[in-house]
Amino acid sequence: MRKVIAIATAALAGILVVLGGAEAAHAKVAHYRSQHPLPRKIGHGFCYIDVPHVHNFEPSDRRLYREIDGQYYFVGDPTAFAYQGPQYSFYGAHPVVEASVQVGGPVYCYLGGPHYHWYQPPPEARFEFRGGAYWYVGAYDPVYYQERPRYAVVNEAYRPLVYTRPIVDITVAPPGFQGEIVAVGPGWRGRAAVGAPVVSAGVQIVAPPPPSVQIGVGVNLGGPPPVRVVERREVYEARERHDRGNHNGWYKKHGDRDDDRWRGKPMPQSGSGWRGAPPPSQASGAWRGNAPPPSQASGGWRGNAPPPAGGWRGNPAPQPSQSGGEKRGNRDKDHDRGGWRR
Amino acid sequence: MRKRSLALSLTAALFAMTAVASGCGKSKGTPTPAPVAPAASPGGAAPPVAPAHVEGTPHTNKIIHGLKSAGLRPEGFTSADPSRYGASFCENGRVNDIETMVCEFADGNSLARGKQLVTDEWGRAGVATGVTAQKGETLMAIADREHRDPNGKTINQIVSAFKKL
Repeated sequence: MRKVIAIATAALAGILVVLGGAEAAHAKVAHYRSQHPLPRKIGHGFCYIDVPHVHNFEPSDRRLYREIDGQYYFVGDPTAFAYQGPQYSFYGAHPVVEASVQVGGPVYCYLGGPHYHWYQPPPEARFEFRGGAYWYVGAYDPVYYQERPRYAVVNEAYRPLVYTRPIVDITVAPPGFQGEIVAVGPGWRGRAAVGAPVVSAGVQIVAPPPPSVQIGVGVNLGGPPPVRVVERREVYEARERHDRGNHNGWYKKHGDRDDDRWRGKPMPQSGSGWRGAPPPSQASGAWRGNAPPPSQASGGWRGNAPPPAGGWRGNPAPQPSQSGGEKRGNRDKDHDRGGWRR
Repeated sequence: MRKRSLALSLTAALFAMTAVASGCGKSKGTPTPAPVAPAASPGGAAPPVAPAHVEGTPHTNKIIHGLKSAGLRPEGFTSADPSRYGASFCENGRVNDIETMVCEFADGNSLARGKQLVTDEWGRAGVATGVTAQKGETLMAIADREHRDPNGKTINQIVSAFKKL
């Protein structure tokens, strides 16, 4: 009799599990707070619904989202996902200041280096527009540091994506900026032109990974007047990583070789693209002093050597004519703003 | 032997019971029974109440007219069963080919419940995109079942027009 009861119980449990699972899968909706990228399996592109809504699919990469009140809120750079709409340049980590979205507590964007968002900081927020981008010059809330290990992975999500970042002149970084200055970020190609890093208290300059600086990005470290040596203007597509037909993964690059991502002219030879000082040793990963003078033998230096005392900051870079920020409707038309010109 | 047959018949009975139970909850292709039952009167079942507009909140006809004025194409709007969502009055139709329902509720609580019921229904139906927006005690629910508006631009237009009314 005991055996009979055991069999019956097991059968009942099995049936309930199957039915419960089916019901749960059937009733699943994903709540989104605002605009967001669409997964490849849905057709790729962007969802422009800027009010809370539901879909019958989950985000393709949760690293690009925060979950706020059970809703996914996209906190990344939308321009990597075929987004077309208002876009404002930012540099470094900053609080998310989308006026139409109430997020309760402070929520930070941990994207390093230059990037875009679809929102413009409100006047009361502590941002300064310099060198073509908004820089957060306020103090970071303790939650910024607490959550950084968890949310800075957003940069990993963008690492394989090749797309056009804003041109930002980091030589005019506001002194109040407490974030990281990244000379060249991972996965950047094309127009991510950066200037000489100005080192000020509290600013950490992160060494550019060597493979990235081989691409045609004009970089000048010190020396007046800065010269933009090479600037490629190809626009790249963010593509989805192939995941054996499941299409649950993230945007892909084919192959592991660095040059697989290059879709423009042939890559410049190593050494011809980097126009500034050599990056700091790999062991340290970052340096905190003034930029070392460039090696004359490298052939890459195009300006005068900085004075021995260091701290050369070059001529002031032209400020963008638009004080309210860089709102771009047409990339090619506007791409000359913000960076150094000669 | 007797024990085994007893176990088999018990299992079969359980299967039958669960199949019946699951069949009750699912209604593929047929309308879901009203999720909110009307309050019963002390003497018995409540008499059916004819759907009526709610005062103090935008009426469905005003909403539809407003959408038309905003350059959108509302069409085929007809009365729908409001009790299904605990509303007082509902109409559904299409705006720019996207299924849209407008409901008037008696108060904020019933609106919140109605909104939840709509979202639950979307989940069961596997709606590709669903948006709700409210104005006063009037709820607009837009459901893109066939993924006609993959980037949501039309839906956003409808919501914006509704909010501006």
